[in-house]
Amino acid sequence: MRRNVSVAAWFVLLAVCIVLPFSSEDSQVLTIAIQTFILTALASSWNIIGGFAGQISLGHAAFFGMGTIITRELWLSGAPLPLSLAAAIVATALFALIIGVPMLRFRGIYFSIGTLALAVAISLTIGNLFPGITSMPVEALRAYTFTDPYFLALGAAVTTVAVAMLLRRSVVGLGMMAVRDDEAAAGAVGVDVLAHKLAAFAISAALAALAGGAFAFFSVSYYPSYPFTAVWSFETILVTFVGGIGTIVGPIAGSAFFVIGRDTIAANFEGFQVIGFGVLFIVVVLLVPGGMVEGAQRIGAWVVKQGQGRKRDVEG
Amino acid sequence: MQLVIQSAISGLLIGGMYGLIALGLALAFGVLKVLNVAHGELVMLGGYVTFFLVAVVGLDPFLSMPLVFVATFGVGVLLYLVLFRFVVRFDIDTRIKNSLLISFGLVLILQALAVTFFTADERAIITDYSTAALTFESIRVPFIRLAGLLVAVALSVGLQQLLDRTTFGHAIKATSEDWALASLAGIDIRRVYLVAFAISAGLAGVAGTLIALGFSVSPSIGLGWTLKALIVVVLAGLGSIRGLIVAGMLLGLAEGLASVWLGGAYREIVALGAFLLVLLVRPQGLFGRRE
Amino acid sequence: MSKARFGALVAAVSLLVAGTVPVAAQDAEIPESIKVGAVVPLTGPFAGGGAQVERGYRYAIDAINEAGGVYVEEYGTSLPLELDLRDDESDPNRTTAILEDLNGEGVVAYLGGFGSPLHAAGTVIAEKNQIPYMGVATALQALHENGYRYYFSPFPKSPDIAVSVFEMLNALLPEGERPTRVGIFQESTDWGEELGAAWTEQAPNYGYEVVFHEKYTPGTTDFSDLIFKAQEAGVQALLSLPTPPDGFALFKQMGELGWKPEFSLVVRAADVPTWNDLGDVGDGVFLSAGWHPALGFEGIEPMNQRHIDEQGRPADPVVGGSYSLVQILADSIERAGTLDREAIRDAMAATDLDTVAGHITFREDGTSPIENPLMQRQDGAVQLIWPAEAATAEIRYPANE
Repeated sequence: MRRNVSVAAWFVLLAVCIVLPFSSEDSQVLTIAIQTFILTALASSWNIIGGFAGQISLGHAAFFGMGTIITRELWLSGAPLPLSLAAAIVATALFALIIGVPMLRFRGIYFSIGTLALAVAISLTIGNLFPGITSMPVEALRAYTFTDPYFLALGAAVTTVAVAMLLRRSVVGLGMMAVRDDEAAAGAVGVDVLAHKLAAFAISAALAALAGGAFAFFSVSYYPSYPFTAVWSFETILVTFVGGIGTIVGPIAGSAFFVIGRDTIAANFEGFQVIGFGVLFIVVVLLVPGGMVEGAQRIGAWVVKQGQGRKRDVEG
Repeated sequence: MQLVIQSAISGLLIGGMYGLIALGLALAFGVLKVLNVAHGELVMLGGYVTFFLVAVVGLDPFLSMPLVFVATFGVGVLLYLVLFRFVVRFDIDTRIKNSLLISFGLVLILQALAVTFFTADERAIITDYSTAALTFESIRVPFIRLAGLLVAVALSVGLQQLLDRTTFGHAIKATSEDWALASLAGIDIRRVYLVAFAISAGLAGVAGTLIALGFSVSPSIGLGWTLKALIVVVLAGLGSIRGLIVAGMLLGLAEGLASVWLGGAYREIVALGAFLLVLLVRPQGLFGRRE
Repeated sequence: MSKARFGALVAAVSLLVAGTVPVAAQDAEIPESIKVGAVVPLTGPFAGGGAQVERGYRYAIDAINEAGGVYVEEYGTSLPLELDLRDDESDPNRTTAILEDLNGEGVVAYLGGFGSPLHAAGTVIAEKNQIPYMGVATALQALHENGYRYYFSPFPKSPDIAVSVFEMLNALLPEGERPTRVGIFQESTDWGEELGAAWTEQAPNYGYEVVFHEKYTPGTTDFSDLIFKAQEAGVQALLSLPTPPDGFALFKQMGELGWKPEFSLVVRAADVPTWNDLGDVGDGVFLSAGWHPALGFEGIEPMNQRHIDEQGRPADPVVGGSYSLVQILADSIERAGTLDREAIRDAMAATDLDTVAGHITFREDGTSPIENPLMQRQDGAVQLIWPAEAATAEIRYPANE
């Protein structure tokens, strides 16, 4: 019964998302939606390496950035978008495999700082090699509509969440979580630790590149090094934690909360948005370490308890 | 050739500063197992306190250091009591994750507060001896940089002495090794945490003085210095206090040489690359203990 | 008839009467104000400049509203300007998002912030949404070469800056005394490349030679090798465009290493009032801030006085430019006679107005024929040196005596 409710809930959410661009012309709403989808895709992809496999990578922006730059360069030079996307995803996954072999030997904070250093080095290099802004040609600008980018971003989010769902129930996913929970024990029972970490790394990289492609298709103009900057890595991790790391819903809830909340605060509390946001995060983390998912569970449990109490009163 | 020597020396001197910033961060992480990415904001705060002491009271920056230490030490106490005290309730892994999040929220708050109280303008300190330098055969060793390195070394040695020779230092070491055991042995770990965190903040403050002297201070400088500090901490190797200044100097040296040989645009990139190479060869860092 | 029914009857009749009275005098559609959207960095690395931009906008809007507002022919009345100003945190992604939000709020025009990266992001959104976008504090010529119709920036661009430096030096210094050996410290950004190229191109035209030209990444902590190489090359004129943090670090290190060339141009970094913290080390440098109160254009006096009253010093460089944008906007709306964005854009393109930044007209690419004034910091005060007719002080040269 519960399972059917939850499946139905997913479908309803998906339906709403699909219908939205046809029911609302408001560029504000659509922009927020697209940014939420991209961040969801990014967060869900990071969740695979960080949440499932337990390797806290601080350099996720590098994969996101690679996705953007390969997609953008190919697409703006005339290649069809699907091809550009595919090239970006494959290239990024390969890159992840190559650097994953040395990097994943590190553990804990060494891995985190190592990935951070690598990502910063890449971002600086891209900044040096591609200093000029990339903007869509004027004709494309005048003809720009939100519809196509919207569905690409939605597609990226759906794909990433679906992969995360499949992975969680799969043997590979179990292996990843075993590595996360106790690497030594997992190795002792025969789980190929490095292979599982690499798989998680490459899959999360590929999905991040997909999110990057959506970003490149949506954004009319940006500096090429921008998607590589650490801000993206931090935001990704932030929303995943706030939403609930290791869960499926977590990254989605966290992203929505972040994008919508930030925009609302920015519009209504000019000047205080940054402080307000900082305080909000701290409060959430302190009170609900499991994120919004845990918060929802706690509220749900409380509600159920109240219901049971009342029932007993009536019956007793 | 002379250019290479000069760049190398400049790099080593700046590296001392990197090491000092890393010192506080390493202490907080080593003892509390807390990753405080707002460390750079404490450096920024120290820089502003220095600036006001120098500009308003007319104090010499080096003489202001004890006062700056006390001020940021106090902020550290406050931050611990209000925030980090709750984080240390969790197990180690959760601690790291949660402290990362909380301190990131702290970064936003402290930056915004700094803009409100200090304005966003760049501030700097100049003294009568800011341009003074020791010269050896046309190689210039700026006095301020040299003094900064000496301060960093002194504080590092002092901290090591505190840890090795005093009872409280032993308590700190015990807590960082195994807090459960330390607690059982009768150590008040909460006090250890409080003082260790506050010292880390104080060290950050003094580093801020050097930053204000050597560069400039503005509300947004924090994250850049935190990143440098993180690199140095990992390069030195977890658990190593002594190695931090050396690791910082080596990072500075790598940057300086990269700049001379490959041009200014590749300075940071090469240094980061060198860092990663070292990690590949010695995964536990230069002076860390092999797990 | 009962009281209740009588009451209901009265109510019904009143409503009927009220409903049928012709609403002739008031067109129910007259807006209360003219909404103008601004996106300015109030936090983050560009916040120092952003504060000046905001000040200019607010001063101008206050002045215009106090004088009665902007006359809009379509409604037959004057309307006040209403500013919706938001902080993009020096982040181009936020700039984009905010401009989309403002579009949803129905603003008639966009006012930009400070710094080429933010403007680069903003102008594209403006083009997409077909809303006029005005910006100062950006010298990036490349933005005007995309064929955009909605970007207006009456501010000196890289070519103007490059020419003005050499013209000034040749006009004010006799031939034997000029700092002909030029060194360029180029930031590795798009504007850095553009301005570096402009300087390199113009130098030989005026008798100057570029003997040193090297790049650095923004955020560099150590400029020693650049300084030494420049010193070795015998650089007499240093041309640079550092951000404030880089500029402060650079000049401190020049002081430590004992090098000060005869002439230094520090675009951007030296614009901030706190450059004076550097004391002697930073004194004598030249600024290319785009505007100076001593230029004596119409309307500067009251604006400058307000600035002195509130900030304790004459108007900062960027305040003048941003003030003029609002003047141009108000004038364009009046000439358009309507709040339609397209009409305002067309009127703006045809601008021919005296503002606090001088007489402004626009070329087809959105730039203005505008002279680039040059200033020098002398004992902490920003003196206007060029154009010579408006100069408030003599040039101090060489700077290292």
